[in-house]
Amino acid sequence: MRSILPAEWRDKRAANPLPGLITASLPEPQRAQLSNGATVVQLDLPDAPVVCLDFWCRAGSGEEGAGESGLAHFLEHMVFKGSQQLEAGEFDLRIEALGGNSNAATGFDDVHYHVLVPAAAASESLALLLDLVLQPRLDPDDFSLERQVVLEELAQSEDQPEEVAFQQLLQRSCGDHAYGRPILGSRQALMDHSPQSMGAFHQRSYRSDRCCLSIAGPLASLAIQEQLEHSPLAQLRPAEAGGEPQPLTFQAGEHRMELPRLEAARLLMAWPLPGAADQKTVLGGDLLTTLLAEGRRSRLVERLREQLRLVESIDLDLNVLESGCLVLLEAVCDPDQLPAVRREVDSVLRELQDVDPSNAELERAKRLVGNGYRFSLEAPGGVAAMVGNSTLWGRHHNLQAPLDWLEEWDVKRLARDLIPALSPERAFCLEAVPA
Amino acid sequence: MEQRELEGGCPLWLIQRPGPEILSAKLWLRGGSSADPSGQRGAAQLLAGVLSRGCGALSGDALADLVEGRGAGLRCEASEDGTLLSLKCASEDAPLLLPLLLQMVSTPWLVEDQIALERQLNLQTLQRQKEDPFQVAHDQLRHQLYGAGAYGHDPLGVESDLERIGAEQLQQQAHQLGQMGAVMVLAGRIPHAVNGLLLEGVEQQRWLCSAPPRAPGPKGLKQSSLRSSRDDTEQLVMMLGTTTTPLGTREALALRLLHCHLGIGMSSRLFIALREEHGLAYDVGVHYPARLGDAPFVFHLSSSSDRAREACDELLNEWMRLLETPLSADEMALALAKFRGQEALGRQTGSQLADRHALVLGHGLPFDFADRSLREAAELTPHDLHAAAVKLLSQPSLSLCGPASAIAAAEAVWSTHPLNR
Repeated sequence: MRSILPAEWRDKRAANPLPGLITASLPEPQRAQLSNGATVVQLDLPDAPVVCLDFWCRAGSGEEGAGESGLAHFLEHMVFKGSQQLEAGEFDLRIEALGGNSNAATGFDDVHYHVLVPAAAASESLALLLDLVLQPRLDPDDFSLERQVVLEELAQSEDQPEEVAFQQLLQRSCGDHAYGRPILGSRQALMDHSPQSMGAFHQRSYRSDRCCLSIAGPLASLAIQEQLEHSPLAQLRPAEAGGEPQPLTFQAGEHRMELPRLEAARLLMAWPLPGAADQKTVLGGDLLTTLLAEGRRSRLVERLREQLRLVESIDLDLNVLESGCLVLLEAVCDPDQLPAVRREVDSVLRELQDVDPSNAELERAKRLVGNGYRFSLEAPGGVAAMVGNSTLWGRHHNLQAPLDWLEEWDVKRLARDLIPALSPERAFCLEAVPA
Repeated sequence: MEQRELEGGCPLWLIQRPGPEILSAKLWLRGGSSADPSGQRGAAQLLAGVLSRGCGALSGDALADLVEGRGAGLRCEASEDGTLLSLKCASEDAPLLLPLLLQMVSTPWLVEDQIALERQLNLQTLQRQKEDPFQVAHDQLRHQLYGAGAYGHDPLGVESDLERIGAEQLQQQAHQLGQMGAVMVLAGRIPHAVNGLLLEGVEQQRWLCSAPPRAPGPKGLKQSSLRSSRDDTEQLVMMLGTTTTPLGTREALALRLLHCHLGIGMSSRLFIALREEHGLAYDVGVHYPARLGDAPFVFHLSSSSDRAREACDELLNEWMRLLETPLSADEMALALAKFRGQEALGRQTGSQLADRHALVLGHGLPFDFADRSLREAAELTPHDLHAAAVKLLSQPSLSLCGPASAIAAAEAVWSTHPLNR
């Protein structure tokens, strides 16, 4: 798992609505609120072999205040060390003995804990999950030991030079904003944290109106609502203050760095786009990045890899984030080719500024993005993550809506509203070469 | 589920699934990198890459336009035992796209210019992979376990061989595609007249093949060794492994349960012993892929260099424990629950279903192999698992990658550990 450009970024591509073809076979998400404001969303998939329970909370690294670097992610680790009811490791043992599995991921904006289990075990698993996440024990001895594990995770990511380069790109382009700081935190900050400071973070961030429980799978036999009214979820209090994500501050610019152990050069570029709340623009951003770099016939891949043969790979991803989305480009090439790669990327982007893309290119992108969305809804885990994340952030559209929004995009609108945002001069550009 | 046979002999398995209107198709061809000819290591993967660069009446660009224009996914990749063509598309696009699969294997263009590009990309990937200390340790262990044998190289190949492979060699390889056996599996919404669709465009050049037979695969060296690669990293990567037995044997099933016990989930033995009890690693686990021949069985972890001695000692102790102590009844029950759970979790999408069945059938095993394995696993005892461990895991090799001081510490542990006597 890439920790600097975290896996959850990529998850969010699947976790956010994207356009596609019809979703007629999927039912409407059923949303409800407990009396304390906690939101529950359910989606019945009668034929699925397992149920996914996915607890989402607005407690990503962006929630960290001064002196709390890495605390959101460290807490995610500590949650699995037991609760007031569960011994350390007992949750995993019981879930896995039921034939299920569990995991969690911390992003900049949010954290989620998910469990996949056979339907017969869903009720018991739900009780275990809520107890674990909402009433963590934070034992001091476990805390010290788990800190070692987090430090190992940090060391492992530092041994991947590509991750070091990505972290530099974010730090230099996003500055003091949370997106410029590593989710894993700094070594010194990790050493300074205590169970008390972590407990305070948990109490402050895990609030009823800042979390969402999402459930997808065969739900017919479950009496979820009744169970939840007597669960720790119903005991949460609402937040005392707003705590909306801070708008992204982004600085265009450039930087060149030499990295030990790098075998191929990297050209990394970043651009800001509006945040995830503007879902229609998110869809447009996905169309644009797909048009440019998904598949052999996309503009950047065709020019740089297929025709000029300058790169081993070139990727352009839209990372959907609440404060502001980030478009990230990565080209992998021989160090000698780096100037030519930079020149050609600039050239492709400038051509796009000057001449609108064709209708055929846009239709191709719509198909690719649409099918990506469709494919992501095939398994209960993808469905639960998608509706859970949307609901967490107050986006209550159904599964069909993104497909309708997709159709609102044409080449003129793309050229007017989005293509200027991806001009070379608006980017932060980082060149990483072998030391 | 329905079983058919395509004209020419290729078995066709159809798995109808309710739910989204998606079709997944897998064509599994016996061969893969273990069948790379001498001096042509990397040929199977190079050929796999070139298959999607033109076939039948379609140039590489036309093929990409067709697939990408329908928003579909089409991949061709070689693994150790086979080459797999995967198509995933909207069901409504199946009539357009399904014919591509057999056209790609029976009438590939194999244009020299496109081969050169694919070869260059593979060479660049091999070079870039050296950035990753896990990859370095893994490649090193592969050589320790299989030497110059058929499993001794990455499917991407070896630079010195790959540089010399051209159109002539790939033509020979292409003629042999499927000759050692092939199988097609479709899962999802199956279109009408599917046999006709699959054969479209290859009527004049009938592709002859048969079901992959049950046959012995490549062997491992079965000898213990130690290798180290110095690298200026924060952590030391350790891989401890040996070669075992093919998928489908009773002992392989016993090892699968040991894999569940040791490396599946956060309640697994290695996770608890190395991470939860000692905080020695973030990432620790077991690598045990399905193979036609002697499959590798590998423990892997990375730990900070100043803790290399302790981490290596604990890792070796865990392997030793397997050889000395049978699982308890509770551990056995948990391993079985995980095995059943893995099966259920692996059936969530049409692509997963098609993939798993293509792999099993590609190994010459029956379609219901997974269900049979579930039944047979329930009959195994801790004694059976222990016997399999003693027989197959008694001579592990250790591969290290990291700073010199950490390597020295780990080597010192290895040299005196009972496992190495």
